[in-house]
Amino acid sequence: MKTIFHHPPEPEGGKKYWRSLDELAGTPEFRTLLEREFPQGAAEFNDDGLSRRNFLKLMGASTALAGLGLSGCHRPEMHLVPFTKSAEWAIPGKPLFYATSMPGRRGALPLIVTTHDGRPTKVDGNPMHPVTQGASDVFAQASILNLYDPDRSRAFLNSGQVSDSDHFSASLDKIAANLAANGGAGLAFLVEHDNSPTRERLRGEVLKKFPNAAWCVYDPLVNDELARVLEAGGARNAPRIEKADVILALDCDFLGCDEGDVETSRAFAVRRSPEQKTVNRLYVVENRYTLTGGVADHRLRCPASQIGAFALALAREIGRLTGNGGLDPFGGAREPSVNTNFVAGWVEKTAQDLVAHKGRGLVMAGSRQPAAVHLLVQSINAALGNEAVAAMPVATKPGITIGELARNITDKKVNTLFILGGNPVYNAPADLEWAALQKSLPVVIRVGMYEDETSAGCNWHVPAAHYLEAWHDGLASDGSYLSGQPMILPLFGGWSDSDILARLAGLPKPAGPELIQETFRARARATGGDFAAAWNKFLHDGFLENSAPAPKPAAGVADGGAYIRDNANLPTLSGEDAFEVVFISSASVDDGRYANNSWLQELPDPVTKLTWDNAALISPATARKLGIESKSFGQKDFPVVEVSVGNSKIEIAALIAPGHADHSISIPLGYGRKVTGWVGAGAGVDAYPLRTSATPYFAVGAKVRVTGGSYPLALTQDHHTMEGRALVREGTISHYREKPDFAKTMWMDAENAVRNPSLYSHPPMNGLNQWGMVIDLNKCTGCNACVVACQAENNIPIVGKEQVINGREMHWIRNDRYFASWDSLDDDPEMVMEPMLCQHCENAPCETVCPVNATVHSDEGLNVMAYNRCIGTRYCSNNCPFKVRRFNFFDYQQRPVAAQDVPFFGKVSGLKLGPLTEKGSPDTLKMQKNPNVTVRMRGIMEKCTFCVQRIEEAKIAQRVKARDSDKVRVPADVFQVACQQACPAEAIVFGDILPDSGSKVSRLRQDPRGYTLLDYLNVNSRITYLAKIRNPNMEMPGADKVATFDAAQEEKPKG
Amino acid sequence: MSAATIEPPPGPNVERVPLILNERRLSWVTDRISGIVEDRTPFWWWVAFLVTSPIALIGLFCIGYQISTGVGVWGENIPVGWAWDITNFVFWIGIGHAGTLISAILFLTRQRWRTSINRASEAMTLFAVICAGIFPGIHVGRFWMAWFLAPVPNQYGIWPNFRSPLLWDVFAVSTYFTVSVLFWYTGLVPDLATLRDRATSRVRKFFYGLFALGWRGSNRQWRHYEMAYLLLAGLSTPLVLSVHSVVSFDFATSVVPGWHTTIFPPYFVAGAIFGGFAMVLTILLPARAIYKLHDVITPQHVDKMCKIILLTGSIVGYAYSMEFFIAWYGGNAFEKAAFLNRAFGPYKLYYWTMISCNVLSPQIFWFKYCRHNVFIVYFVCMCVNAGMWFERFVIIVTSLAQDFLPSAWHVYHPTWVEIWTFVGTFGIFLSLFLIFMRYLPMIAMSEVKIVSPFADPHHHPPGAQEETHH
Repeated sequence: MKTIFHHPPEPEGGKKYWRSLDELAGTPEFRTLLEREFPQGAAEFNDDGLSRRNFLKLMGASTALAGLGLSGCHRPEMHLVPFTKSAEWAIPGKPLFYATSMPGRRGALPLIVTTHDGRPTKVDGNPMHPVTQGASDVFAQASILNLYDPDRSRAFLNSGQVSDSDHFSASLDKIAANLAANGGAGLAFLVEHDNSPTRERLRGEVLKKFPNAAWCVYDPLVNDELARVLEAGGARNAPRIEKADVILALDCDFLGCDEGDVETSRAFAVRRSPEQKTVNRLYVVENRYTLTGGVADHRLRCPASQIGAFALALAREIGRLTGNGGLDPFGGAREPSVNTNFVAGWVEKTAQDLVAHKGRGLVMAGSRQPAAVHLLVQSINAALGNEAVAAMPVATKPGITIGELARNITDKKVNTLFILGGNPVYNAPADLEWAALQKSLPVVIRVGMYEDETSAGCNWHVPAAHYLEAWHDGLASDGSYLSGQPMILPLFGGWSDSDILARLAGLPKPAGPELIQETFRARARATGGDFAAAWNKFLHDGFLENSAPAPKPAAGVADGGAYIRDNANLPTLSGEDAFEVVFISSASVDDGRYANNSWLQELPDPVTKLTWDNAALISPATARKLGIESKSFGQKDFPVVEVSVGNSKIEIAALIAPGHADHSISIPLGYGRKVTGWVGAGAGVDAYPLRTSATPYFAVGAKVRVTGGSYPLALTQDHHTMEGRALVREGTISHYREKPDFAKTMWMDAENAVRNPSLYSHPPMNGLNQWGMVIDLNKCTGCNACVVACQAENNIPIVGKEQVINGREMHWIRNDRYFASWDSLDDDPEMVMEPMLCQHCENAPCETVCPVNATVHSDEGLNVMAYNRCIGTRYCSNNCPFKVRRFNFFDYQQRPVAAQDVPFFGKVSGLKLGPLTEKGSPDTLKMQKNPNVTVRMRGIMEKCTFCVQRIEEAKIAQRVKARDSDKVRVPADVFQVACQQACPAEAIVFGDILPDSGSKVSRLRQDPRGYTLLDYLNVNSRITYLAKIRNPNMEMPGADKVATFDAAQEEKPKG
Repeated sequence: MSAATIEPPPGPNVERVPLILNERRLSWVTDRISGIVEDRTPFWWWVAFLVTSPIALIGLFCIGYQISTGVGVWGENIPVGWAWDITNFVFWIGIGHAGTLISAILFLTRQRWRTSINRASEAMTLFAVICAGIFPGIHVGRFWMAWFLAPVPNQYGIWPNFRSPLLWDVFAVSTYFTVSVLFWYTGLVPDLATLRDRATSRVRKFFYGLFALGWRGSNRQWRHYEMAYLLLAGLSTPLVLSVHSVVSFDFATSVVPGWHTTIFPPYFVAGAIFGGFAMVLTILLPARAIYKLHDVITPQHVDKMCKIILLTGSIVGYAYSMEFFIAWYGGNAFEKAAFLNRAFGPYKLYYWTMISCNVLSPQIFWFKYCRHNVFIVYFVCMCVNAGMWFERFVIIVTSLAQDFLPSAWHVYHPTWVEIWTFVGTFGIFLSLFLIFMRYLPMIAMSEVKIVSPFADPHHHPPGAQEETHH
């Protein structure tokens, strides 16, 4: 309201895809409009939830439906009321796109958000930003659901009593006034990692006013030791993966969502295509299969606690090879591999390869490995002169650790604690006993998205604004400055971190982007009239151009030897019964923050395919030792083990994970939340009780005992082998160079294979465009970004744990994960991924069997579903060789998935109660729905449509553009489908496959690596898979087995 | 050489075992069979009916629950889109085959022994087809839209998909049901007239009279009747073969390994006759015992039916082995895996139950003793009933649970709703059969009388002959 920025006039002829929201947010009209849509009184809903009745009652005033309340038992009438004044540029039915960014602990992610009539519905990467180039990750895709989560915190709570924003502001001012008297002594802040320059600036302002205040940054998945030891100089070493020819990742899942991001995935993928002269080679040493391990050329199973021992052995070997004695901090005094027998030759051959590629190699360690490991790795990189490492400035000044804060609290040095985000009661190191500490404090003010474990007992719980609801900024992983616009006013009146900090600093609570503008002004050095233009461009683009700091060569390593020697964090793991427990981040719920996100809970773990739970991952050998057996498939109940570290123990289901290191147990964090919404309730087991300040990542000396109990786990795929069927085809780089089209003639597609003629003819496919897809298995890591992107785009429901166990998950695209080995007892299987979705067969088996013609072919080659026509015989799914069709066994969109209390029956899923439950989904969830995609009812079949809504949109746009001419054919690559858009590795390419279209997909279909699945069935799939190519070092142990699995099978059918 | 000089070669002097034992007179047949309908409802009937009808109601409740809530209350999943529903459908349709076979094919082939069992078998056919028809109807996700299956002209010009075997099913089963009802009813007319004539109450007289269509038993009526019966038998005969062939097309025309097999039509038909005869015996043996009909349904009848069971059971066994042979001989890895999984995969128990029930158990019918011991016969028939259900389950579920992509494999388990829906159809079937026994002659009196020696004007029973000479 305060600052009105005038948009520059619409440039003539220029295309504008998105615009800033600032003016809209600032104008009173728009504000009223939004408030009408999301009334301020929304907080009043909190007790009985935002039921339809309540919502309609509140909406009643603005929609002027006097008769609504009187309509009695009639179905409530709903009227569509047009905007009296339209939002700027809004064309009814057309989405608007705005740039923003999503904060994260590894840097903010530049995003583009799709909004329909003021409702953000879909999040994607910003195509203009070099980091994302339009791609995104699982968490960004799913974050839109958090915005609309009906379980979000809706009210200001003062000691548990519902209060409001005004009372809180007054209370805050009083607290600030009291604290100001003694310079903020006793004031402390506990915040999460966020590199927002504005937050950093406000931190400075607050600390200026309260110089004695403490600032603690805590994230359970961030290694505080690294910041202290390695980043003290204000710079950190960042890998430049695209520059490396040989990469050694030591427990570093740089292609997963924890250690990696969109940028690293892309950087790796670009060097992976086999057409180029030098294909990168990846060695991975890790305790459990990660996505990175899956794409590795060579992988060594090694307990996480022994990564240090491996690094030491490697450093010694490289030192020996290069004659550099400085690489061994122990001077040979300490045995390198403490009770860990690395596969013979592994260390030596890897070292030789790294030395052979001096300067072009890269060694990386997982960010949560101890600093000693990182120091070793840095010294190796420095010794080899590896150029794929660059120094990046550290954006934020480190604060104190949570341990120090806890000590301050124990010493009564703290009386007022602000907890901005985070959930320390749940995830602080167990030895701190944070819950008791927090209780001992006189004043605790907590800002959180949910009323969770930490909120209980706080003096104030303040609902936090979602990042799509508040102005913010951030730095991308390349350091460039990102804008963060809100897409919608806070649905539940939430405050952002900046709001609190600004208020404390004595600034007025910002109504608009003032705080960000101030930071921007300093960063962009823009003034006066330039400022308005620069600011608009900043918002429009989503980032400040050329703001990324140029990477500097890696700083020379200070002698880390002393640190390595003095810090005994290269532990040993000896004895038959010695176990380590590794606390890994969950690929679904991260550190627990997404526990109430149903898309993520139902998203299968990319490796284990486990949904709705975590499990103790153990190796097959460990399982045999413990006496745990597993079925090849069809197992529902899994044995429970008791894992104890010191005096703490947890009971958790054990899941046998092929490729896992022996003597090691991986347990994903983030589950077993005690206070959360219905989604997170009862999901998994909390592993934080085992995790202490001393063992933030792994704990050695753990004990495991089989309790004899069992626990049901919901796996979306539990058969691990391909059964000798060449579904994922892979070869080595030499195999490929010898015979580039080896994949075309594998197995049943052997050159002499006889093709059966088709019995039926079909109407001609003579549309102007012919749609098809190419999936490059060589690039795909299996990260699942496509799965969530598809879910968000296509209004795909979740079905709950019970239904996943029943095999009824609804994902239109899934990632098939197979383990391949020469024999079933091999503890070192290869892992391969294959995205599986409707293949849009030209000769589709599903179409001939549908009795009612509900699934038919379009003239553009799409296998389309007519939902209205479908009666749900499921015959199409039975006859689908790829089993990609999904059936609405229940009314997933209208009935509660959560269990309901039923007299005499106990807890029964709302789905099974059907008509006995209230019909309809929460109103906020409806707001997320893509209005261009039908929400399917129960009893009908659905499946991938190739995002037909996007195809149609492109066709309409082209027809509008063509006017009277006949140029109605959609030009090449003018739009993307959702999975393709999200894919950080650009493994999925969609488009017009006609050779004259000039599209990328038409070129890629000619790639010699291309093959189609189940060709012998004559289905003529429209999806071409490009074979996976591995680049093994033939001198490595086991190199002869790499990627040869399918080639061996080639012989078999002839027998 | 004149024709008269040629003497026919002397035949072996073997006397056929009469189809009606103990020289029962025509009036005995009428009295005994009409008596079942005319006597007071026996106590056991009420007990039986009070057991079967609540079971039928539970089945109907399960169906109501499933339709109102969703197919998800069953255990089906992706990939196993069909399980007990279609298994039950094929099971019941198979049972329905014996009736038509007995009434039509045995009629055309002049197998006179059929008359003792054809009425009950035909009734059983109808009730089995009713039970069968429930499943394709309710297995769909949107029951209220199932009329899309009918070729109803509409303004959108959308027709059913005539390439879909499921649509062929709709036509095949509805045709079969219609023709079976007509055939059964036509055969009933003379008997209804008998009951009408014997009726003592006005109500009975009215209803039997109404459905007897004015039957007087005149020569003209008999001539028309027999022609109609012959024509309907001719019409039904291809249906015996076609219905189950069409049902087998549901599987045979698909691409699913384990379904995609050309042997299915004959194999399914043989299996259906096999299962149907077992069910006929399952029902008739107790009925014979209760109503003391041993003179009408003689050991000879049981013996013949056992031989048919042995024959069709062996055909089925041959089909099982041929499937395996082709899976190996065809060299298709998917087919091979499908059959190996069937026999040794997670459903191996089902498979070996099927083999023992369907292939092994009927083999004891090679021995006459076994064919004549009702307890053994009954036991084998129960095995065959179960085995034929398992056969359909094995074909449908094991093929779907493990098909092309191992990533999609998923085991199927039934829920209580499916189990009770199936049990409920037994309730429906048996309740209908009990009602049938109570109100309609369960043995075709007129036809039995036709094959009785007394129908022959020249027949002289041994005792009677002497009398006439006096």
